[in-house]
Amino acid sequence: MREITYQAAIRETLGEELRRDEKVIVMGEDIGDFGGLTETTIGLIDEFGPKRIIETPISECGFVGAAIGAAIQGVRPVVELGLADVILVAMDQIVNTAAKMNYFYDGKSSVPVVFRVWSGFRPSGGPQQSQSNEAMFAHVPGLKVVMPSTAYDLKGLLKSAIRDDNPVVFYEPKGVYQNTSSVPDDDYVIPLGLADVKREGDDATIIAMGAMVPTALAAAEELSKDGISVDVVDPRTLRPLDTDTLVASVSKTGRCIIVHEANTFGGFGGEIAATLADLAFDKLKAPIKRIGGLEAPVPVSPSLEGAAVPGQDDIIETVRALI
Amino acid sequence: MSLSAENLLDLYRTMLLIRRFEETAFIKATEGIYANYHGGMGQEAIPAGVCHGLKATDKTMITHRGLGVLLARGITVEQIFAGLYAKLTSPTRGRIPVYHMGEPDLGILAGTSMVGSVVPLAVGSALADQLAGHNNVTISFFGDGAVNRGDVHEGMNLACVRKLPIVFFCENNFYAKSTPLELSTAGGSIVARAQGYGIEGHLIDGNDVTTVHEATQHAIERARAGDGPTFIECETYRWTPHSTAGDREFARTEEELAQWKAKCPIKRLEKQLLDSNQASADQLQKIDQEILAQVEQAIDFAAAAPYAPRETAIENVYR
Repeated sequence: MREITYQAAIRETLGEELRRDEKVIVMGEDIGDFGGLTETTIGLIDEFGPKRIIETPISECGFVGAAIGAAIQGVRPVVELGLADVILVAMDQIVNTAAKMNYFYDGKSSVPVVFRVWSGFRPSGGPQQSQSNEAMFAHVPGLKVVMPSTAYDLKGLLKSAIRDDNPVVFYEPKGVYQNTSSVPDDDYVIPLGLADVKREGDDATIIAMGAMVPTALAAAEELSKDGISVDVVDPRTLRPLDTDTLVASVSKTGRCIIVHEANTFGGFGGEIAATLADLAFDKLKAPIKRIGGLEAPVPVSPSLEGAAVPGQDDIIETVRALI
Repeated sequence: MSLSAENLLDLYRTMLLIRRFEETAFIKATEGIYANYHGGMGQEAIPAGVCHGLKATDKTMITHRGLGVLLARGITVEQIFAGLYAKLTSPTRGRIPVYHMGEPDLGILAGTSMVGSVVPLAVGSALADQLAGHNNVTISFFGDGAVNRGDVHEGMNLACVRKLPIVFFCENNFYAKSTPLELSTAGGSIVARAQGYGIEGHLIDGNDVTTVHEATQHAIERARAGDGPTFIECETYRWTPHSTAGDREFARTEEELAQWKAKCPIKRLEKQLLDSNQASADQLQKIDQEILAQVEQAIDFAAAAPYAPRETAIENVYR
């Protein structure tokens, strides 16, 4: 099977979905000839034209609202917001409008819209270009939240998100953008709400999200040299959350470490920890541990980069301390 | 195209239905049957004049003061009262405020509580029609209180860039809740902003139903012809406080209210119909009696209807 990057998988998926369903459109800033901040829309305007590849003014409330309004009429917009930090500009439209519209229309219409965001740490990004704010949206009933960590998962999940009749906030972590994985040529989907066990082991479960998945896998590899074997589980979808897979893994290992780029306080790891404490308390041999980013704005200085997001060593130390 | 006697009577009936609805809705709110009712009494020419002649496939996006639009588009007074009473028999099943109602079959778009955030949503509706090649128009209502919201500017700008089939309809009743226009809006004119978008803007008398109707029809024709958005600002006045949820009057005076009551849109059309012999006093009185009976029945219907059962609270959060 061919290997492609996460970024290339996004571009491919958008093209395939635009070809498959004429209701699909793409909206966002600089997504025309420029190809978007993330360079994932390169070439789309040549094939699909400016009617379906809608390059918008810098006005996130305006075009996010318009995407929601169009979705209610049966259009299926895929909105590229660029940096995850930028989605906060349009939070009113997403939280107060998109998330409520199924309830308002009460089954008479739906809101098939995807909001793509490029999340997490990047060098030179700083406090307003490196955030991981997925927990804010995962908190909201009416939204779905997805965060794939591999090119394979990305493609199957983005297709599901585009074909879903609910508003989906779709996190694409910068840390995995250039990572490659095997991706089949054939059309496939991965259902939303299905976690994936990325590596199997018996001594502990590392639940990792987004860019922390490859970091957790590297940590697992190191730990195996000392005879410690771990499950690495990627929830892939935060809402709806696949609690069954998480509970099954923790029930097997008895230990759980949750890792994400976002800071720990109020982060999504808290929701997972509470769920496991509720459903697998009697299987736990040790307290549930959470590892997250700094409780501070993400700094830009190269000397502080290492402190901004969890690293392999943080995970290894935490696992060792539990065993 | 001038309005026939039949058209004028239709407009009269619609305005009077809205007025009788508004009167009763206000009384029931002050009796404490429901709170937080945003009355539109005095502004009836706008929903009647704008919606007259719309196709069911045309869309209207209202504000929280837009229940008259729902009536003008075919929601019954029974359904609205059931909604205000938060009863199961409303199209909302009583689960949401009635101004959030979405009825695709009648072209009614679900509105929001965030003043101005409806404009980008309405723009999206027009975008969908443009993409599909449908010849429909979206009417985006908003008040003077919304015009300084970024959403309104962003939505209007996007619609103008893409020449979408939409009418921006600003109901200027001079007060955003308690704040008078001069404290909220720079430049001295709302309609002047149309120039900045390079579109037609018209300032009209919002208490004259014929003027409202004709200005809207002109804008609709432009939209259907592919000429893009038009901005209409109409001047009007609400006769009741911003809402019944403990809102007191500050800036608005009795004198000002009296001046505007003298410009009652219904009395004006009534005079026009009688003076031109297009209707008789008896005929108009009969219409009123029918409407009053209809409103009374609607109240009884709403009062007697059941509330939504508990399990419905989590229905249709997702599709």
